[in-house]
Amino acid sequence: MEYLIHLAILFSIYGILGISLNLVVGYTGLLSVTHAAFYGLGAYATAILLTTTGIGFFLSLIIGVLVAIITSFLIGIVLSKFDDDYYALASLGFNTIIFALFLNWQSLTRGPLGIPGISRPELFGFDFSSNLSFLILSLIILVLIFYISKFIVNSSFGRVLKAIRGDEKAIQVFGYNTAYYKLTIFVISAGMAAVAGSLFASYITFVDPSSFTVFESIFILAIIILGGLSNMRGVILGALFLILLPEALRFVGFPPDIAAQMRQVIYGLILVLLMLYRPQGLLGEYKL
Amino acid sequence: MDIIPQLVLNSIIAGSIYALIALGFNLIYGATKFFNLSHGVMAAIGGYTVFYFAKTLGWNLPLSIVVGVLLAGLIGYALDKLVYFPLRKRKASNMVLLVASLGLFTAIQAIIAILFTSQFQTLSQNISGQRIYEILGGVITQTQLTILISALVITVGLVLLLKYTMFGKAIKAVSDDEEVAKIVGINTNKIISYVFFIGSAIAGLGGILVGFDTGIEPTMGFALLLKGVIAAIIGGVGSIYGALIGAFLLGFVENFGIWQISGEWKDAIAFILLILFLIFRPRGIMNK
Amino acid sequence: MSVLQTKNLTKRFDGINAVNNLSIDVEKGKITSIIGPNGSGKTTLINLLSGMIKIDDGVVSFNGSKELSKIQPYQVGFYGVTRTFQEVRLFEQMTVLDNILVVLTERNVFNSLFEKHKQYHLKKAQEVLEKIGLWEKRNQLAVNLSYGQRKLLEIARVLGVDAEIILLDEPFAGLFPEMVKIVSGIIKELKQKGKTVILIEHNMDLIRELSDHVFVMDEGKLLAEGEPHKVLEKREVVEAYLGE
Repeated sequence: MEYLIHLAILFSIYGILGISLNLVVGYTGLLSVTHAAFYGLGAYATAILLTTTGIGFFLSLIIGVLVAIITSFLIGIVLSKFDDDYYALASLGFNTIIFALFLNWQSLTRGPLGIPGISRPELFGFDFSSNLSFLILSLIILVLIFYISKFIVNSSFGRVLKAIRGDEKAIQVFGYNTAYYKLTIFVISAGMAAVAGSLFASYITFVDPSSFTVFESIFILAIIILGGLSNMRGVILGALFLILLPEALRFVGFPPDIAAQMRQVIYGLILVLLMLYRPQGLLGEYKL
Repeated sequence: MDIIPQLVLNSIIAGSIYALIALGFNLIYGATKFFNLSHGVMAAIGGYTVFYFAKTLGWNLPLSIVVGVLLAGLIGYALDKLVYFPLRKRKASNMVLLVASLGLFTAIQAIIAILFTSQFQTLSQNISGQRIYEILGGVITQTQLTILISALVITVGLVLLLKYTMFGKAIKAVSDDEEVAKIVGINTNKIISYVFFIGSAIAGLGGILVGFDTGIEPTMGFALLLKGVIAAIIGGVGSIYGALIGAFLLGFVENFGIWQISGEWKDAIAFILLILFLIFRPRGIMNK
Repeated sequence: MSVLQTKNLTKRFDGINAVNNLSIDVEKGKITSIIGPNGSGKTTLINLLSGMIKIDDGVVSFNGSKELSKIQPYQVGFYGVTRTFQEVRLFEQMTVLDNILVVLTERNVFNSLFEKHKQYHLKKAQEVLEKIGLWEKRNQLAVNLSYGQRKLLEIARVLGVDAEIILLDEPFAGLFPEMVKIVSGIIKELKQKGKTVILIEHNMDLIRELSDHVFVMDEGKLLAEGEPHKVLEKREVVEAYLGE
């Protein structure tokens, strides 16, 4: 049972990551491969604040979101100069730069040693140290993010995003400064990823740079492509699938470090197979 | 020992390594017009093949190297036949190819980690016995000299191949305009798969040489890929000379860039250089 | 009264002047056609006027604005300009209705987040879609429409925008006669409402029927201009079409 709760918490965290990345990749058509950077910024903000200051979880979450917002704003401005392939490549570059920050700014992040001893959230005296309570917290946040995203997607703003995905030059002619739209959704998406990061840091109580590499960004991409781009329920399905499948491997008897690599083999292969045979994913409407 | 000559030598060595990766990358980009992000892992395949045959099986070293280079080329060829060609056939967008290459890269790197563990290994037989040369006030090992010579020889070889052989001219034709090449009767898909073989083999050689110089680990492909891509882009995507120029420029900027700051920031500096080029001169140095 | 003016407008591609020192004056409230052989620079001109490509030399002014040497695509709406595309650029993965709504709703980033779409947006969408007969198909994806329906949807899109200056790039190409009737009817209606229509077209009968004024382009330059029946009889014009 505890194990199921653990899986459910991971599912919530990746659900948030997938939903937020989907806003940029699925709805706006921008192939961003740097999501793990913002995930990491949120995680490190919470990790650092909770272990070195008296700031509580929820405030650290807000600060993490702010850090992600500012960083993604700057990155987004540079990225907006690029199209398609170059956009993806540049985003990979930014992920690498931020990863290098996590690894090398040792006075702040303790580098490869990571930051242990992160406490669980506390709200009005209630302690979220039991996994079950943490699960409920994560699920509530997941639902919140889900509905905020739905709101964005169903608004006029969301319709413009889809038009940008369809034909950016054409929608510009009709009076839209698309750069502002792209930047806005990129920043919103980054803020949401930071929320997932804060949850992650507090749940695992330990963070280190290895959780925020380019391969993590690729994993999140695999989730949303599998589920079906621009389909929010698809993201949920994709997250479910890609969280559960590797865990199933542990039952089959692979030792834990091999299991981690197997997970990578699986989602790598899934991406290739999807591109070859079903680019619209499980529930998707939109093909890359 | 003067620091500047050593920095110059280090830059040249780094540039040579990057050149070996960038040459293959540019060759493939020239023929297919997409960013083959699985290119980096070919270097790892080369290195690990030699490791397996020479160190684990105890085979003769030169033979192992030949096997390593050939296997890297073969796997590159196979990836084209199995994945990229079917995608090109149904006119998949560049983004689809890019995502597929990301997936392949992810999966293959993890497979290497499973087969050989994530440990750092070295290919050289004896650590202290390497010959060292003194050039212009700096120090360079025999392996490093080999790297430099290989890079130059291969570049010259490629240029001669492209200019003076029918095969090379066919490659140039495909790179200039695939449709026209088809019309004049060139079997473009066959040419492209040969290009994959050659490009991947060169990358494999790069990985082997790096293995002798510093060592191998499963993640080496990614680091080399990024540097190779940066070199390729700043030199000019698709250009052979560009790969060389970009690689050496990158080598110099990296090594002189960390002169006053810590070496851990090399990657970040490389990326900043990339971003600057992408903003101000996206076609690279060689292309107009 | 001049509603659109270019002075020495030039655009170069690979050393060739696609639009070469072009100076024209378009009169308000009239239907002006631009004709010329293939490659004469007509679409390039429209692309320059709508900000899709950069101006190399020369200036454009709209409706008495100052002379512009740089036009950003998202600014042309402000100058009262809208357009259709020769190759039909719809938002394929969106519904017919959404293709129209997206040009009606709030342009401001912040405001658009908090708007779904208003009742009057829907009404306007219904109005223009009914005009081209696609209201019943409003929930179909644009990619599933026939070629003719897609061209009509582009026309509906510019009707929704309700701009003063409407640039149409080969709106009749590939249309069946019934649809040609619908589109020419719409163009005449636009003129009645006082709008200015600039039209690229190859069909000489339609040119004669609709245009008040014709510009003939050849090799990026203005070859001739004037009333349709006079211009179409000029020897230089006939020769340009037949080649040297």
